[in-house]
Amino acid sequence: MRKLFPLWLPILLVCLATAVASAQSFRVQCPTSTATHPTAANSEPDYTAPTYTSGQTYVSSGAGHVNGAIKCQQISGGDGYSTMGDGTQTYMFSFGPLSGLGDMANGRPGTEFPSVFNGVYGGTFAPGDPATSDGAGPGPNPASGFRYNGAVGLIPDATGNTAAPSAGHVDPRPIEDVGVMNGNIPAPLMAIDEDDEFFLTLTNVGMIMRPDLFEQHTVHFHGYPNASSFYDGVPDASVAINIGGSFTYYYLAPDAGTYFWHCHITPPEHLQMGMVGQIYVRPRQDRVPAGTSLYTALSTQQGDLRTACPLGNDAVHHDILCSNPLPAINTGATNTAAVYSAAASGTNAQRPGYAYNDGDGSTYYDVEYPIQIHGFDPNFHFVGMTFNPEGFVDMKDKYFLLNGRSYPDTVTPGPLATQSADGVLHYSQPLPTIITITAGQRALLRISDLDVTEFQTLASLGIPMQVVALNAKLLRDQAGNNLYYTTNSITLGGGESLDVILDTCAVRASITSCTTPMAAGTYYLYTPNLDHLSNDAENFGGLMTEVRVN
Amino acid sequence: MRTMTMKKVISNVRLYLVPIAAVALLLAATAHAAAPGVRGTSFGLTASAAFISQPDGQLVYSWGYACASGGSAVPFGPATGSACGGAMQIPGPTLIVTQGQSVSVTLTNNLPAAAGNTSILFTGFDVTTSGGVAGLLTQEAAHAGTVTYTFTATNAGTHAYYSGTQGDLQVEMGLYGAVIVLPSAIPANCTSGVAASNLTAERFWGETDFRLAAAAYNHPKACYDREYLFQFSEMDPRIHRQAEEQVAARSTCVAGAVGCNLEVATEPYVPAYYLINGRSMPDDMDPNYAAEYPHQPYNGNPHMHPGEQVLLRIIGQGRWQHPFHEHGNHVRILGRDGNLIVSQSDPANSLAGPLLFTTTTTPGVAMDGIFYWTGRGLNWDPYGHNPASADPLAKLSCTPDANGYNTGAPTAINYFEWCQDHNKPVQSAPFGDVAGGGPVTLPDPNIFTNGAWYGGSPYLGPNATVRATGPTGTTPPSGTIANSPTSEAGFAFMWHSHNEREITTNNIFPGGMMMMMLVDSREFQIDETN
Repeated sequence: MRKLFPLWLPILLVCLATAVASAQSFRVQCPTSTATHPTAANSEPDYTAPTYTSGQTYVSSGAGHVNGAIKCQQISGGDGYSTMGDGTQTYMFSFGPLSGLGDMANGRPGTEFPSVFNGVYGGTFAPGDPATSDGAGPGPNPASGFRYNGAVGLIPDATGNTAAPSAGHVDPRPIEDVGVMNGNIPAPLMAIDEDDEFFLTLTNVGMIMRPDLFEQHTVHFHGYPNASSFYDGVPDASVAINIGGSFTYYYLAPDAGTYFWHCHITPPEHLQMGMVGQIYVRPRQDRVPAGTSLYTALSTQQGDLRTACPLGNDAVHHDILCSNPLPAINTGATNTAAVYSAAASGTNAQRPGYAYNDGDGSTYYDVEYPIQIHGFDPNFHFVGMTFNPEGFVDMKDKYFLLNGRSYPDTVTPGPLATQSADGVLHYSQPLPTIITITAGQRALLRISDLDVTEFQTLASLGIPMQVVALNAKLLRDQAGNNLYYTTNSITLGGGESLDVILDTCAVRASITSCTTPMAAGTYYLYTPNLDHLSNDAENFGGLMTEVRVN
Repeated sequence: MRTMTMKKVISNVRLYLVPIAAVALLLAATAHAAAPGVRGTSFGLTASAAFISQPDGQLVYSWGYACASGGSAVPFGPATGSACGGAMQIPGPTLIVTQGQSVSVTLTNNLPAAAGNTSILFTGFDVTTSGGVAGLLTQEAAHAGTVTYTFTATNAGTHAYYSGTQGDLQVEMGLYGAVIVLPSAIPANCTSGVAASNLTAERFWGETDFRLAAAAYNHPKACYDREYLFQFSEMDPRIHRQAEEQVAARSTCVAGAVGCNLEVATEPYVPAYYLINGRSMPDDMDPNYAAEYPHQPYNGNPHMHPGEQVLLRIIGQGRWQHPFHEHGNHVRILGRDGNLIVSQSDPANSLAGPLLFTTTTTPGVAMDGIFYWTGRGLNWDPYGHNPASADPLAKLSCTPDANGYNTGAPTAINYFEWCQDHNKPVQSAPFGDVAGGGPVTLPDPNIFTNGAWYGGSPYLGPNATVRATGPTGTTPPSGTIANSPTSEAGFAFMWHSHNEREITTNNIFPGGMMMMMLVDSREFQIDETN
C-alpha cells in the first residue's frame, strides 16, 4: 500500500483540494480477524455456549467460545435525486451504497462477510452503477443482475495481494464515479447478527449540487444500548467526517432488535432531506442447532453476563434495562432446520427466524419486511437544492413515504431509478414494500419512523397486528410474561420503532405450522391520517401498501 | 453572503456562545441540574404575567406561577431565588410532597383583569376546593381573588398540574408545573448494597446526595441514584403577542365588565419555540436559577457516572406530543401519572413498564423512568487501560461482581467499569499511552471536525484522554471546549425531540428541545449545587 501512496495522493489532492498533506482520504476497514473473532470466518458459527465460559474477564490470547462473525459495509454520504409518487424528481441529501451494491439493488441488506466485502471488482465501475451496468431505465426496473457486493474502491495492493486490501486506502476514482449523486431513500439497509463485530465505513463524497456547503456527515445508530459517544454520530459530542474523508464505525452488535440509523448533522435538515436508513439485529436464538430447545438456549445465554438478564431485587443481581428474561412458561419450542441453516449461512436473502431471544418461539416469523416511515416536504427540498435558507417552523410534509416510496410506487417491484443532475440513472429507491405472505405464515414487520415533523399512524385492514416489541425491546415483564398486544393500527413519531407480526393463520397448530390459513387475497396497510393518503396535489397515494396473501 | 451560509453563521454564533458560557462555568463552579422545587404541605401560588427569555433574543410575554408562601427550597439552591417568595416562573414551582400527606394549594389570581379567571387541575388526585368562583372544571380564582385546592398525595411519583381555565390559552401562556410525590417508605435494597456503595463513591469525590429520596416508589425496582425533571411544551409566538397587545389595550378594564376579556385566536397553531423546562437549547444547559432567566429557573443539563440509576421525571405540557429520544441507552418506564406499572403475576418484585429509547411525551401525562449507562458490550475498554503504562491509573484492576461490574472499589475512578472489556483495546495501533491490538484503525484527526462536547478522544475521563492525546500521542484535540479533555472528558449524548424540527428556535438550528447529557468518569466531580 505504501508504494501506491504517491500515485494516488496527487489525484486526491486535486479532487478534494484539501490543504493538509496528511488530511485524507477514503479508506475502508474490514479485518478478516480480530481478538474477538480470531479466525477468519465467512459464516455464522453455531450458538452452543456463551462467549465467556469461565470467568468474565478479557483474555488477550483470545480465550473463550467464539460466537458471531465479522460484518462490513461501506456507504457514501452525499446527495442525489429520487422520484415521488406523482413523478416529481426530488433533491436529497442522502447516503448511497458503496458495498453490497448487488444485494441492495435487489432490496436486501448490503452487509457482508469480509470475504465478500474485501473481494476486488474485476470490471470497471461506470457512473450510476449498478443501474448503468444493468441498463436500467427511469422508474421501475426488473431485478438487478449486478452481482458484485464488495467495497467500491478496493484495488490490489502493491504486491498484487487481493486477499486483504482492507487495512489501507482505497482508490477514490471509482468511489466518486459510483458515489456521487447516488443517494438512496431509504439509506442502505443493514442487517447483522448478535455477537457480530460490525465495521461500517462512511465515505463523504461531497454534495455536488451544493458546492456552497461543506457538509460533514455522520452515522447515528439510533437506539443502541450503552453506546459510546465516539461512535454515536452526534457531531457535537464526537467528530464529524469532512468531505473527502472516511470514518469506520465499530460496534459489537447490540441486543437483537429493530433499530435504525441516520445522519446527525443538523438533524432537522439532513433527516428531512433524506439521510435516514434501517438496521436490524438478528438474535442468537436463530443460530442454535435445529432441534435445540429455545428455552435451553436462552438459559445458556445467562452464562455470559453480557447476554444475561439478571433480575434479582438487589442492584447487583439486577439489570433494569433487560427485557427478555426467561419466559414464564417453557413452551418446549425448538429451533427449526430452516431457521438454523439460513442463520448459519448468514445469507442476506429473505429467510425465517425469530425477532428476539424469546426462549419460547413466540416471535417466530416466516418472512420479514423492514418498513421505514418518513415524510418529504417538497418546499423544503426545493429550497434545499438552492442556496437559500430553509425554514423549520413551516415545514410541512406532502409526500408520505414507506421505504422512500409513496403508493402506488410502494407496490412496484424492483429498484426505482431516477436520473440525477449528472445525467445518469441511479437506483434511488431500491426497496419496494410488497408484503408477500404464504397463507398460514407469519410476517415480521420491522417498522421504524424517522419523520421529522409529525406522528403517523399505520393501520392494517383485515390482518391483525400483533405488537411484540417496542423500541427494539421485547414486550415482556420482569416475571417473564409476554405483554404482546394485538391491534389494527400503530402510531409512531420520529425516532421510534416497533415490531409487528402479521399472522395469516386462522387456526394455528403451532408457532411454525398452520391448520387453517386465512383466505388468500390482497390486504392493505394504510394510514388513517387521511391527509397522508396523498402525493402532494394527487389525492390518492401516500402512506399505503399491499399485503399479498398467496 | 449567501443566505444558506447566514444560517450556519447564526448557528455557529450560538454554538460558540454555549461553549464560552460552559467554560466560564467550569472555571467558576460547575453547575448542573437535579430536580429543584419547594417542599411543604401548604403552598401559596400566585399567577401573574412576565416576559421569558429565548435564545434568539426574544422576550416573550407569558403567564406563570410564583411560589408566594408555604414551601421551603429543597434540597439545594442559592440563598435567594429558589425559596418561596420568588418571581413568577415557567414551569411553575415544583411542589415536593410525601405520599399520604394532605396537601393544600391556595391560588391567587394576579393575572391582568382581562385574562379573567384562572384555576389549577391536579391530575390524578381527588381534589376538594374551598373559596373561589364556580368554573367549568373546578373552582376558579377570579381576578385578584383566591381559591384553595386540597388533596391527599395518594400516589407516589411525578404528576402534572396545569390551568383548568381556558387551557388552550392559559397552558400555552405558561400556567403549568409539576407535583413530585415521594414514597412514604423506602425499600431496604435502595439504601444498602450497591446503592450504598454509590453513595460512598459520591462522598469520596466530594459530591453531595441531591436526590429527593432513594426510591421513586415504594418498590424494590424503583431505586435511583440521581434524578432529573423535564417538562416539554411549545409556544406559538403569535398567541403570546396577541395576548400582550389585548392586555395592554384593556389595561384599565374592570374584571367582569363587558369587554374586559381576551379574544386570542389559539388556532391555527404554529409553534416556533420548543421548550424543556421553559427554556430552549442552549439556555437549558445553563444553571438552575441562573440570573439571566429570572422567570425560567429550571434547567435541563443531566450528568451521571457510569452505573448510576438515573430517575427521569418527564412531563408533557403544552398541546403536542414530542418523541423525546435519549441517546446512550433505553429508559425503563416505571410508572405513568404516579401509577407504578408492575407484573400481574409478581407485582411485589417485577416491573412491567416498557423499555424505550424514545419516551414520547403526551400533554398532561407524566412518566417516571430509569436510565443508566455503563458501556457494557462495547467490546473495548472505554477507560483505555494499559497494563504496560507507567501511570498507575492506567493499570487499575477490575473485579467483576455478580453482574459483571467493578463495584467493589467505590473510590476507584473505574468504579462500575464493565469488566469483560477491561484492558481490551479498540485500536489496532498504540495511541499515546493506550495499548494497540484492537479491531479498528482510528483515522487521521485532520479529516475530522471536532464537536464542542467531544471529550478529545474515544475514551472516558481526563486520565484516559490525556494518556491518549497527550505529549506521546497525536495532535491534541481542539474545539472540545464544552467538555475539556483535561477536566471533564465525559461521554456526551444528545437528548432531544426526534421530531427534529423541534430542535430549532424560531427557525434557527440548533435550539429547541435539546440538551447534552454527560456520562462522567468518577474523577470528574458532578456538582449540582446552584
